[in-house]
Amino acid sequence: MTFSVKRFMAIFQKDLKDLYRNLYVSSTALMPLVFAVIYSRVGEVPLAMYLFVITLSLALVGTFLQCAIIAEEKEKNTLRGLMLSPATLTEILAGKSAVTIVITIIVTAVSMFIMGFSFDGRGWLIAGILLSLIFFIALGTWMGLITRSVLEASVYILPVMFIFGMANMFIGLADQFSFLQVLEYTPGIQLEEIANLGESGAGFDELWKPFAIIGAWVAATLVLAAVTFKKRMMD
Amino acid sequence: MIEVKSLEKIFGDKQALHDVSFQVKKGETFGFLGPSGSGKTTTIKILTGQMRQSSGTANVFGVPVSKLNTPEYRKRFGVVTDNSGLYARLTIYDNLKLYADLYGTSLQRIDEALESVNLGSEKKTQVAKLSKGMTQRVLLARTLLHKPELLFLDEPTSALDPANSKHIHNGLKELNRQGTTIFLTTHDMEEADHLCSQVAFLNKGVVQLLDEPKQLKKQYREEIIGIELKDGRELELPLKASSAEEIQQYISREMVERIYTKEPTLGDIFVEVTGRELV
Ligand SMILES: Nc1ncnc2c1ncn2[C@@H]1O[C@H](COP(=O)(O)OP(=O)(O)OP(=O)(O)O)[C@@H](O)[C@H]1O
Ligand SMILES: [Mg+2]
Repeated sequence: MTFSVKRFMAIFQKDLKDLYRNLYVSSTALMPLVFAVIYSRVGEVPLAMYLFVITLSLALVGTFLQCAIIAEEKEKNTLRGLMLSPATLTEILAGKSAVTIVITIIVTAVSMFIMGFSFDGRGWLIAGILLSLIFFIALGTWMGLITRSVLEASVYILPVMFIFGMANMFIGLADQFSFLQVLEYTPGIQLEEIANLGESGAGFDELWKPFAIIGAWVAATLVLAAVTFKKRMMD
Repeated sequence: MIEVKSLEKIFGDKQALHDVSFQVKKGETFGFLGPSGSGKTTTIKILTGQMRQSSGTANVFGVPVSKLNTPEYRKRFGVVTDNSGLYARLTIYDNLKLYADLYGTSLQRIDEALESVNLGSEKKTQVAKLSKGMTQRVLLARTLLHKPELLFLDEPTSALDPANSKHIHNGLKELNRQGTTIFLTTHDMEEADHLCSQVAFLNKGVVQLLDEPKQLKKQYREEIIGIELKDGRELELPLKASSAEEIQQYISREMVERIYTKEPTLGDIFVEVTGRELV
């Protein structure tokens, strides 16, 4: 298995340039900033609200952007050309993931800046966010591999948004609708857990649990994406 | 360069290729001719590793096509198919730059390749604004960047006007002179006649005839001399000694407008061999 940094960079640059001109996808990815601006006007907001915007960024950028840019290559018949070039599918997906990671980090950082949230002394939370980012990108990669167009990607992203992107909001309704309690296990809520534990000065003896749950999500989606990836390499 | 033996491809209950065998030698321009649905694109897909055959062997560069999926082999060939895509939001230049980087060729090749498809002045144009023929030329330029040893072209001029077709034909001939082996499919018999050193007739998934265009035309030539007289009459005489005297008479009486032999076109031969029109 060869991996060429030059080809990886070529894909990365192309996707960044292309995204810059892709109004539909880039405006969707900027949605979390709109929420950030709204909440910043509200004044004092609970920690949960910050986590809501962070998780929304992870889902809308990490998952949707990744899924949409992979799906579009299939829709426009450009993936075929790439696959016939010396670029390997690994290099192609790595280049795209790099674009998604950069944009996700920027959107998350900027929206937290707008809301006046500081990451100072929140190392655990940053670690949790980065771990969750792997989950959201692996999920987006898998969805990108199984969807055939940007439109399809926009439809498939809806359940992901509700379950993973907005869990921090819906969990408030869990008292009325007990089935919503499963949302407890989503990475978003686990991030909130990490933030709360970190705030109260808890150690790793308590923090390991939310990390383990996010880690399980990461492992599951990585396997799912890898299996689908292998299948696609075959045909 | 290419060796194909008893190639067969079955899609579900549909057999696209029955028994396809042929060879393409280094330096040839090989024309794969056949009507719509005869299996031309399917053959290209198998040869370029985009699809697996159901049975039979297909070797390119002396190795089975299933082994072609490495960056090293992919650098040696180029493909333009009828459903290749470009990045519509990017400029022509940016589209080609991506591929120049992927193939590791110099950026100077971008200008040279665009020049060779007559698009030198359109570098900065966004691909979304191009006509179909221009898009096709950009795709061709893209595969010329790395000067492939072997070039697969699936109907390269189907969307082009005669002037641009001619330009592309000249470019392909030049490329071939420089050593690139070309495998092209087409419906256009004149194109095949003009460019190809070998042609194969594909009909319903079977190669029915394979030869040099010149040989084919000789073989299928009607043994007839046509004479158009000044009074408007047209005569057809057998190409035999017995006709000589009659022809001489017309000439000596200055009655002749024009004399010709009846050369069949490749299209005529295709119809004769397969019983089908080449549409
Ligand atoms: N993926 C596929 N699934 C099922 N059938 C297919 C598939 N691809 C091609 N075929 C069938 O195989 C046959 C050959 O198709 P192919 O595209 O190779 O023809 P072609 O010679 O390239 O035609 P054209 O000149 O119209 O491009 C057709 O009958 C087509 O319907
Ligand atoms: Mg075809």
